[in-house]
Amino acid sequence: MDRYNQGIRIEGLKKRYGTGDTAVDALKGVDMQVAPGEVIGLIGPSGSGKSTLLKCLGAIIDPSAGRMTLGEQIIYEDAWKIPDLCALRRDKIGFVFQAPYLIPFLDVTDNVALLPMLAGRSNRESRQRAMALLEALDVAHRAKAMPSQLSGGEQQRVAIARALVNRPPIILADEPTAPLDSERALTVIHLLEEMAAQFSTAIIVVTHDEKIIPTFKRIYSIRDGRTHEEQIKTHP
Amino acid sequence: MISLAGRDILHSWGKFVFTGIGLGLLIGVTLTMAGVYRGMVDDAKALLDNSGADLWVVQQDTLGPYAEPSSLYDDSYRGILTLNGVEQAANITYLTMQVRPAKDQRTAKDVRAMVVGTPPGRSGEPGQPKHLIAGRHITRNHYEAVADLASGFDLGDRIVIRRNEYRVVGLTRRMVSSGGDPMIFIPLQDAQEAQFLKDNDAILRQRARTAENPTLNRPGVLDAVIASQSVNPFVNAVLVRIKPGHDPERVAESIRRWKRLTVYTRIQMEDILIAKLIATSSRQIGMFLVILAIVSAAIVAFIIYTLTMGKIREIAVLKLIGTKNRTISGMILQQAIGLGLIGFVVGKVSATLWAPIFPKYVLLEFGDAARGFVAVIVICVLASILAIRAALKVDPAEAISG
Amino acid sequence: MIGFLVTLLAVFVFVGLRSGPLAPIPITVSTVENRSISPALFGVGTVQARYTYKIGPTAVGRVKSVFVQVGSPVKAGQLLGEMDPIDLDDRIGALDAALLRAQSTALVAEAQVQEVSARKRFAEAQLQRYEKLWADSVVSKEAVEIKRQEQQIAEAGLHAARANLEASRHEHLRTRAERNGLTQQRHNLRLIAPVAGLVSLRAADPGTTVIAGQSVIEIIDPISLWIHVRFDQLRAAGLKEGLPAQIVSRSSSEKSIPGRIARIELLADAVTEESLAKVVFATLPNPLPPIGELAEVTVALPPTAARPVISNASVQQRHGQLGVWVVTEDRLRFAPVKLGATDLDGRVQILEGLKSGERIVVHSQRPLETHSRFSVVNRLPGITP
Repeated sequence: MDRYNQGIRIEGLKKRYGTGDTAVDALKGVDMQVAPGEVIGLIGPSGSGKSTLLKCLGAIIDPSAGRMTLGEQIIYEDAWKIPDLCALRRDKIGFVFQAPYLIPFLDVTDNVALLPMLAGRSNRESRQRAMALLEALDVAHRAKAMPSQLSGGEQQRVAIARALVNRPPIILADEPTAPLDSERALTVIHLLEEMAAQFSTAIIVVTHDEKIIPTFKRIYSIRDGRTHEEQIKTHP
Repeated sequence: MISLAGRDILHSWGKFVFTGIGLGLLIGVTLTMAGVYRGMVDDAKALLDNSGADLWVVQQDTLGPYAEPSSLYDDSYRGILTLNGVEQAANITYLTMQVRPAKDQRTAKDVRAMVVGTPPGRSGEPGQPKHLIAGRHITRNHYEAVADLASGFDLGDRIVIRRNEYRVVGLTRRMVSSGGDPMIFIPLQDAQEAQFLKDNDAILRQRARTAENPTLNRPGVLDAVIASQSVNPFVNAVLVRIKPGHDPERVAESIRRWKRLTVYTRIQMEDILIAKLIATSSRQIGMFLVILAIVSAAIVAFIIYTLTMGKIREIAVLKLIGTKNRTISGMILQQAIGLGLIGFVVGKVSATLWAPIFPKYVLLEFGDAARGFVAVIVICVLASILAIRAALKVDPAEAISG
Repeated sequence: MIGFLVTLLAVFVFVGLRSGPLAPIPITVSTVENRSISPALFGVGTVQARYTYKIGPTAVGRVKSVFVQVGSPVKAGQLLGEMDPIDLDDRIGALDAALLRAQSTALVAEAQVQEVSARKRFAEAQLQRYEKLWADSVVSKEAVEIKRQEQQIAEAGLHAARANLEASRHEHLRTRAERNGLTQQRHNLRLIAPVAGLVSLRAADPGTTVIAGQSVIEIIDPISLWIHVRFDQLRAAGLKEGLPAQIVSRSSSEKSIPGRIARIELLADAVTEESLAKVVFATLPNPLPPIGELAEVTVALPPTAARPVISNASVQQRHGQLGVWVVTEDRLRFAPVKLGATDLDGRVQILEGLKSGERIVVHSQRPLETHSRFSVVNRLPGITP
């Protein structure tokens, strides 16, 4: 079976803002595919449609045309094929941001456990899952702390745990390394690669951080609403 | 599922509680204002209830004895007693005046009181003080008094009314005039004297005036005239209690017809007191209450809106990671109601604690508190709607930069 | 946070139960005892003198002199003052002169009688002589007739002179009586004390014109001071002569003087509905209380037989009935009662409706109903001991 049949596949995605003379085509036909366990980069200048693409992938905005497939399921074909987009984001898509954006009034465990609870799992099971991930990310010793008590790096790791906790097939990471120095940036990317491999998650990292771009095996660049795949040298 | 509202409250509980207390004080003020209004109406009703009368007989064509001055002869009651349906009829005088303690007493303040004159020793007749909280009823027909607790006088105190000293032998509670002045009961004859017999200076002047009149200044005549000027055969009203089974209006009508006096039933007296006497004040307070309620509602709405707006980033993140709108709305609503509950409890407790300190009676009715509770919750819910709408409009994409 | 909420809730519940309609009503109770009570009557009266003597003239006149002041003691028969006689003395003098004149007139009348008697005797002798002469026919009948006429004239004259004498004697008597009358009146102008006593009023000073009956000086007998007391008719049962009383006069309110009821007036005051009585002092206080001063009189009535006794504060009226709230365990029951004698300290005897040993409500914070929740306390809140 084609590996890309398990991951995310985008074909001819278009997004037009506005109507008539003032209409702007942010995306003019994007094609992309990411296999499970793969971490790819998405680069491009500002205004190129990067965030628009991310928002479409994240089911935050409605595309204008095209097809999006997640695993076996077509989630969008000129119209959303999933009735509950909220559940889609919750269960199938993980988000990692530039800043951790942890919920300040929940402790570390509950920040991560919130997502499975929202999905309907019991509190105990949700916390167990959360703990498992926190251990995997080596922040389990901070399980009872509040986000404000964590260092930036620890918070980011908790954020990554939160993104993974529902085992989504895809994680969208938006400039996750922007505020970090190169050592930490690489750490984060390695972490993502580890998680991707461990949980068979496809991860799209939007970035223009020169430090980490060389680490990706595959990169999509987006320009003027269209993507081009670029292969970087493969890692040994 | 954990309670997001609860966690948020727990995390910043100081701010929440502080806000709750502030809101609570505002609610307490509103409840107290309602209590002041109820207290005024209750004062008027207490006056009527405590008199124990079914009918008030007053001077022809007056609104007396509370709303207007009224004078009738003190032997009118005998004729009224003979009418069909009348069980008891008793004379009574009312005079609102300053009463001061006798010179050597420990309390130095004088007090504005309604001095009530009733025939002593007639237990259970209309006009007598009903239940005592200390001491006993008046037994002597001169120079004893029963005072209300609100006057500040104590058992054994000696007080001065006009030219005589009275010893306080009993205390009552909530025996007040319609204006909230405490009542002091003294024997009828002393009260008649107090009402119509003036101070010594004025009496001397009156005697001199009479002596100047040549028609009166004759041997034998002058003394008789001066003696007649010194007696007072008037009372302010006759209180009537009717026999069970008789219609008050029928008995009143027979008194009106045969005695040619004005008679008011309990309902008419209430109307006079509440509708005429305290109408303006109660409207004043009513208007203030409405404004206060509106202001409170606005402040509650503002507080809740501000609390929500402070969480806008978290709300965006929650929406982004897949929290349902329903969950987010629920969080805001729960916080609003929680705030309202804390506010109401603080408000009710503080109103109850500070109500007795007010100089006039503040009546906090359970019904008012219940209505207040419902109003607070409704206002909180409506206020949260504003905040919820704002929260739902938040674009989750704001969490994603650029 | 939880702690705060729990405390808040606890305070809320506490406040809700302690105040407002759910709170129990504090009451004080007492036990009904069988005792006898000493009812007493209380009345206020004025000090009066039993007898007041008002001394004044019996005719219009002007006061000439007053010899006594208010407060002077006087003896019986003492001269207190005089009215101005004006022309009375002169009139007496005139009558004295008239009296002398009457005496002289009487003397003159006597002399006249003697003169006429002499004339009559001569005329009679003459007649006899001429009658003898006529019998001897010496004189004519006419001469005899002339002599007879003279004799008759002389007799008539004598009668007249005698009558004149009577008249002048009566005139004398009349004048004397008039003089006596004026002298009496003159005496009346002297104001004399009828009894020994104290002057209580000096109503007119010298120079004042007074009419008949107006008093110039009033005298009282200080021993006869008593107090005219008014008692409320409603409680005046048992008022009898001879009952002991305590008198407190307004000016010396600390001292209480013993006394007794001297008389119950037959006529009560219908307008003020009071019975009237007179109370005398057992020993007169020194100094004497001023007449007209107010005095409070407490009369002790004989003690009653022992019966259930309660404080009058317990008596309530409910649905047209007089009664008392009886406390049994934790319930209230309204017992209608019939009241008997009361004393001045507020104790009242129960004739029907209560038994000794029952616990009854004396004071309550709020009006009670049969279903009211209550709590028994020693003293109601807000009362200082």
